[in-house]
Amino acid sequence: MTNFSSLASAAGLSGTQYKLRYEQSSCRLELTGLPDVTAAASADQPQQQLNILTGWDLNLGQKASLQGKREHLQALVSAVQPYVRLLVSAQPCQQSGGSDAVVSLEPQDDGRHLLRLRSSQPDTPPLELALDHAELADLNHCIDQMLVDARCALGLEVQSPQPLRRGQYRRSSVRRQGQWIAPAAACASVVIVGALVSLLPLPQRTAEPTGNTTTTEQSKP
Amino acid sequence: MEAPNKEVTAQGLNWHHLSHCPRSLIATAAPATTSRMPRRGMERLDLLLLAIEALDLHGSEAMVWSCEQLQLQEAFPDRVALWKSRCRNPLRRASRRGELNAAEQRGLVELVCSLADRLYPMLRQLLSSSEPAELNAQRWGLFRERYNDLVEGRMNGRRGAIRQLLDPADGEALRQELVLTLALCCGPGGVQRLEASLLDGSR
Repeated sequence: MTNFSSLASAAGLSGTQYKLRYEQSSCRLELTGLPDVTAAASADQPQQQLNILTGWDLNLGQKASLQGKREHLQALVSAVQPYVRLLVSAQPCQQSGGSDAVVSLEPQDDGRHLLRLRSSQPDTPPLELALDHAELADLNHCIDQMLVDARCALGLEVQSPQPLRRGQYRRSSVRRQGQWIAPAAACASVVIVGALVSLLPLPQRTAEPTGNTTTTEQSKP
Repeated sequence: MEAPNKEVTAQGLNWHHLSHCPRSLIATAAPATTSRMPRRGMERLDLLLLAIEALDLHGSEAMVWSCEQLQLQEAFPDRVALWKSRCRNPLRRASRRGELNAAEQRGLVELVCSLADRLYPMLRQLLSSSEPAELNAQRWGLFRERYNDLVEGRMNGRRGAIRQLLDPADGEALRQELVLTLALCCGPGGVQRLEASLLDGSR
């Protein structure tokens, strides 16, 4: 559900601060920001838009509550979306976001997904959160809602999902186990039968009895 | 236990995607709908629809109803047309030759995502680790029973893929994979994700 509310000068701001909220069972993403009043409003755009993000808050149930700036939201989106895209293809997932990225997501042996958030502060260990499938689906759902919401005009960079190339794609879903057995057995049987047939002795042709063939020449009278 | 609020800060984000698309295009961008769906894509799409039927007792009725809601009457004017499209799956007992056209392809993907969205609370329960283990085991058992019944009734049991799906050892992971796929195809971006995944290996 999306809730759009304006907090008019609540924190002593001169303008109107907007808040967008996207909620699922175990996840709540809340964006706070300001509209860009200098942008010329066109007819097809909603009048109330959040153009300048002042902060965001991600609440993952009882696990953690994260706050950040626009770069961190961008990093979160960039880590979650490709990871989920690979999961939908049932591909073996690798670390999404990169080992040095602010936000990365990687699979764990127990089937969970490790969301790792790195701080730029020195000597600060990264925050690691293990999400189960349902929590990851909730987080993805919230991000999806944010990305298609016309009122959220942050211009985040999003990679559109593309089909995997043959080299990238590994069949791991419903495999065709033993599909080669039938044609291989057919070929092998043809070869074996051919070999056996070639070993059979050919029937020897008995020499035809040569009859007394006399050619009579008739002399012309 | 209340988790501490932790602020993540970073400076100098210097990595970028190779290709970007504006936010406004996400809802409308479709990954090459004119591409021919590979055989595996058709198989997977039908197995996802079968999973929906196993989760929802009135799944087949819900499909017809959803076709009307999604205005897919052009591709599937009636339940017979929908059934014929699903029979393009080569794993079916009564499989039909030929390929899906673009409208049918897109329609079936939208149908799966729409129905998955409707079943999301149930999918979430199945996937959640915070649910009581015994209760969840019962839910998975019920799903397995119904899914295997549907597979045995409609699919060609001589196919290796179907034997694998019905195999007690391998089938469990495959069913979980299907349920996870359905859960991740919910939401506004689900159609594009699923469509792209079904076209894997086609380029």
